[in-house]
Amino acid sequence: MASPRITTFQGNRNFRLLIVLATLSGKPIKIEKIRSEDLNPGLRDHEVSFLRLMEAMTNGSSIEISYTGTTVIYKPGIITGGSYTHQCPPGKPVGYFVEPMLYLAPFSKKKFSVIFRGITASHDDAGLEAIKWGLMPVMEKFGVRECALHTLKRGSPPLGGGEVHLVVDSLISQPITMHALETPQISSIRGVAYSTRVSPSMVNRMIDGARKVLKSVGCEVDITADAWRGENSGKSPGWGITLVAETKKGWRYFSEGIGGAGDVPEDLGAQIAYELLEEISNSAVVGRNQLALAVVYMVIGKEDIGRLRITKSQIDEKFICLLRHIQEIFGTEVFLRPVDDEDSDDLIATIKGIGFTNSNKKMA
Amino acid sequence: LQASKNRKKKWDIGKLIYMNNISPADCIKRWRGEAEDETVSDVESETEEDFFKQRAAGSEKVGVDDDLEKFKPHFETFKKLVAKWSSADSIKHRFLGAPKASAAHE
Repeated sequence: MASPRITTFQGNRNFRLLIVLATLSGKPIKIEKIRSEDLNPGLRDHEVSFLRLMEAMTNGSSIEISYTGTTVIYKPGIITGGSYTHQCPPGKPVGYFVEPMLYLAPFSKKKFSVIFRGITASHDDAGLEAIKWGLMPVMEKFGVRECALHTLKRGSPPLGGGEVHLVVDSLISQPITMHALETPQISSIRGVAYSTRVSPSMVNRMIDGARKVLKSVGCEVDITADAWRGENSGKSPGWGITLVAETKKGWRYFSEGIGGAGDVPEDLGAQIAYELLEEISNSAVVGRNQLALAVVYMVIGKEDIGRLRITKSQIDEKFICLLRHIQEIFGTEVFLRPVDDEDSDDLIATIKGIGFTNSNKKMA
Repeated sequence: LQASKNRKKKWDIGKLIYMNNISPADCIKRWRGEAEDETVSDVESETEEDFFKQRAAGSEKVGVDDDLEKFKPHFETFKKLVAKWSSADSIKHRFLGAPKASAAHE
């Protein structure tokens, strides 16, 4: 029964990414030694929940979890999509579940229309605006035009009570081959500061803090105030800000953050603004938090060579892990070469697509 | 591989990325030229001793592992960022229509 060669991985690193890559490649994978050294070994609630979600969005997947939960064998089926409601566990926000769906949704049989319930913000995972304004523009560059994330309710941690609706209407057979060799120029900075169940003045204080920092770059800054109240603002008080630097070409850089206990709104606004500047200085075409999505889309593109400009500082541990996983699952390597420009030590990542086709789509 | 231990050697990041016996963190270190000398020989001989070491480092390692799943990239602390970005001149060229006055005198 078992196929001759199952690619095996160890540890709980990049769990979602591995599952996503396996699904896209159609190859079974085995992940072992998941937190085997930990006092509480095995998969966590949110990881099991994620596997459930995968099961719902695909047809024919088989997931075997060992008795201790430290080994998972995942045999992917086809991506079917459709309508579904996913209840996210309290440990992880909806962003944790929405983010991997973005890798799969455009290559599905039916349109994705998934409602996620739970916490909508956290310190570590993607926030709603980050997905909407940070990740979806990247997808758009690869030909996925009709996708949206509707915020029905916000739910700040720890109690949550939020609800978002992910709709991906573009079904494409493969991503467009991308050539992004120039660092685009930023034309404006936009953002949203939101609050749930706290005084709306918090929002304005965050905006003030961010504006003060961004004044020095001398570009248009437009931050929207978004105060949520009543039924739709979830069960817990919370506030946060997302800043996005826009370019005319459609690429975006962004940074985000939420307030914790004892944080001062002005400081958070300023911190996120500084992080945006830092991210801009460290990135060429995409930010670090968009890099994985862009690279995976390039890998599953047409059998043609796509190029993406990156900076040296974007090559970090995470990036190397990503490339190794891609190599192990797809057998494709990414070539890096320096740009022709002498003033810059940026690199061009050259990726040959594997010629992935959405098996649910007829080829034209 | 043993011969290339020389610190002065310039590593090609393109190759380094796919050397699976070198941990990603080491790749970065070597590429930036800050590797300690022993790393290479360590990789081979480590297996046996490491068995014990890993137990001890277990708790710390979990933290590192979870880091990769994190969406938000790593940033310096607030104070360092404030110090670094007291002036945004270094990225002025990235903005369209930024006032030329301050960019010009650079």
